Amino acid sequence: MTFPSALDRDRAPSLPQNLDALRQRIDAAARKSDARAIAVALHDAESGAELHYDADRWFHGASTIKIAILLAVYGEIDRGRLAPQSRLHVRNRFLSAYDGSPFRILADRDADSDVHASIGKTMRVSELALHMIAMSSNLATNLLLDLIGLETVQRTIERFGLTGLDIRRGVEDEKAFEHDIVNRVTANGLVGLLRLIAEERAYSPELSREMLDILHQQEFKKGIPARLPRDVRVAHKTGDISSVAHDAGVVYAPGRKPYVVAILTEWAADAGSRSPTIASISHAVYDYLRGTGQEGSDA
Amino acid sequence: MPELRADSMRIVDGYRLEKPKRDALMPGGALRDREGRTRQLPRYFYEVESWDAALEQELAPHFNMWEFIQTDVREATPLRFFPRYVPCAVTLTAAMLERFREAVGEPVRISANGGYRSPQHELTSHASTHCWASAVNIYRIGDEYLDSRDRIGRYADVARDALPGAWIRPVGEDRGFADDHLHLDFGYVIAVPHDAPGDPFNPKLEGDPL
Repeated sequence: MTFPSALDRDRAPSLPQNLDALRQRIDAAARKSDARAIAVALHDAESGAELHYDADRWFHGASTIKIAILLAVYGEIDRGRLAPQSRLHVRNRFLSAYDGSPFRILADRDADSDVHASIGKTMRVSELALHMIAMSSNLATNLLLDLIGLETVQRTIERFGLTGLDIRRGVEDEKAFEHDIVNRVTANGLVGLLRLIAEERAYSPELSREMLDILHQQEFKKGIPARLPRDVRVAHKTGDISSVAHDAGVVYAPGRKPYVVAILTEWAADAGSRSPTIASISHAVYDYLRGTGQEGSDA
Repeated sequence: MPELRADSMRIVDGYRLEKPKRDALMPGGALRDREGRTRQLPRYFYEVESWDAALEQELAPHFNMWEFIQTDVREATPLRFFPRYVPCAVTLTAAMLERFREAVGEPVRISANGGYRSPQHELTSHASTHCWASAVNIYRIGDEYLDSRDRIGRYADVARDALPGAWIRPVGEDRGFADDHLHLDFGYVIAVPHDAPGDPFNPKLEGDPL
C-alpha cells in the first residue's frame, strides 16, 4: 500500500490565513452540542495554515494514547529489540500503575474480541499493533505496553520533543484511575505526534509509512471521516470513554497535501451526539481548507 | 503426515553446542532457587530441527513437542531460531501430562512460555523448573480457561490425586502464586537417556553425575 508524499513543512502558505470563519463554525458546533469542552488543533501542509482552538487544554487521552504506544513499539523495532514478526504471549494479566496489583481486561468491555481469543497462545507484534489501533484492542495495547515498558513510551515522547502527551499507565487500570493516575493529551500534542509520523520523521520513512499503514486501517469511522467525501482517506485513531470522545488523524484529500487534525471533546456521561459533533467539526475543517467552507451548512 | 516418535529424536550434549546457544542454555550450570539452594541444570537436550518437526514430534499420545517449546520474544535471541534444544526430561513431563489428561478427560493446553524456557528467558527468575522442562503452565482445559480461583483449584485437586509427588503452585495474586493458569511441576528432574553422549568414565568424577 502506498501513501501520498510526506507533508512538506517548507512549502509556502497559499490558502486563506484568516481562520476566523473556521473558528466561528467550531464555535457554532460547540454551542449546538452538549459538549463540556471542545479543542481542535490543525496543521495543513498545503497552505501552512494552523489552528489552535483551546488546543493546549488537557483531556483524558482515552484510546488516542495508543498512537504514542505505537510510536514507541516502532522505536523498539528501529533499535532491533523487536521485529514486526516477533511473537508475544497473549496473557490477560497486568499490574496496576498504582500499587502493582494485578488486573485484567474484561472481554465484554473491549472493542476487539480477536485478541482475547488468542489467550494462552502467541501473536505477532505487527498483529497486536494493528489490533491496538484499527480495532482499539485494550488487551493488545496493554500487552505491547507491558512488553516495551511505560518508561520506553515516555522516553520516546521526550526523544522527539513532543509535548501535550502525558502517558502514565496502560488502559483499564481502574485502581490507577481511582487514584488520579490518568493518561492525558492535548489537541496540539496529538497533532505533533501525528505530524512526526506523517512527515516520515519517525525513525525512518519506511517505519513511518508502516505506522501510517496501520492508522489507515482504522475501523471506527464515525468521527473525522464520517462526513468527508469517499475519495478522502484518513489515517486516524479514535478515543472514546464515558467522559470524552476524540479523533485525531491525517487527512489525505485528492489533489492537495494532507492536513493533520485533532478534535477532542468532553461530555457528561449520558450525553449524545458525540461522534456527530466530531464529524461536523471535521467537515468544517475540510470545507474551509478546500476553500468552500465559508457558507457551510452543518454548523 | 506421520508423527515422529520420541525415540527418533537426536540427543545432543549441551557442552558441545556453539557458544551463543551454550551461553543461553547453560548446560550443567547452576541456578539459585528461592531458598538460596543450588540447582544444577540439565546437560543433555533433544534437538528440534524446525517448527514442522516440533509439530510432528509426538511425546505422548496427546502432546507433541511444539506445545513445550512455544516461547515468545522474551526468550534469549539465540534460542528463538531452529534448531532448538529441549532438556530430555520433556518426555517424562509429557508422560505425566498424559496421565493428567486421562484424569480430566479433556484436552489440556500449555500456554506460551509455559513449557520449556531457558535460564536466559526474561521471565526466568531463580531456579524455575521450566528451565528443566519439568514444569508446565496450563491455561485451558477443554473449553474452560483457568482464570479463576475456583477453576484452578478444581483442577489442582485432580492433579494431586492423579500425579503423586507433583508440586502445584498455590492460587493467588502475589509473587510465587498463580491466578491465570495451573502450574504443574515435577521438580528438578534431569533425564539422561541411554543414547546420550557422555564423557569417558573417570574415577575422579565418581559420585558427580555430570
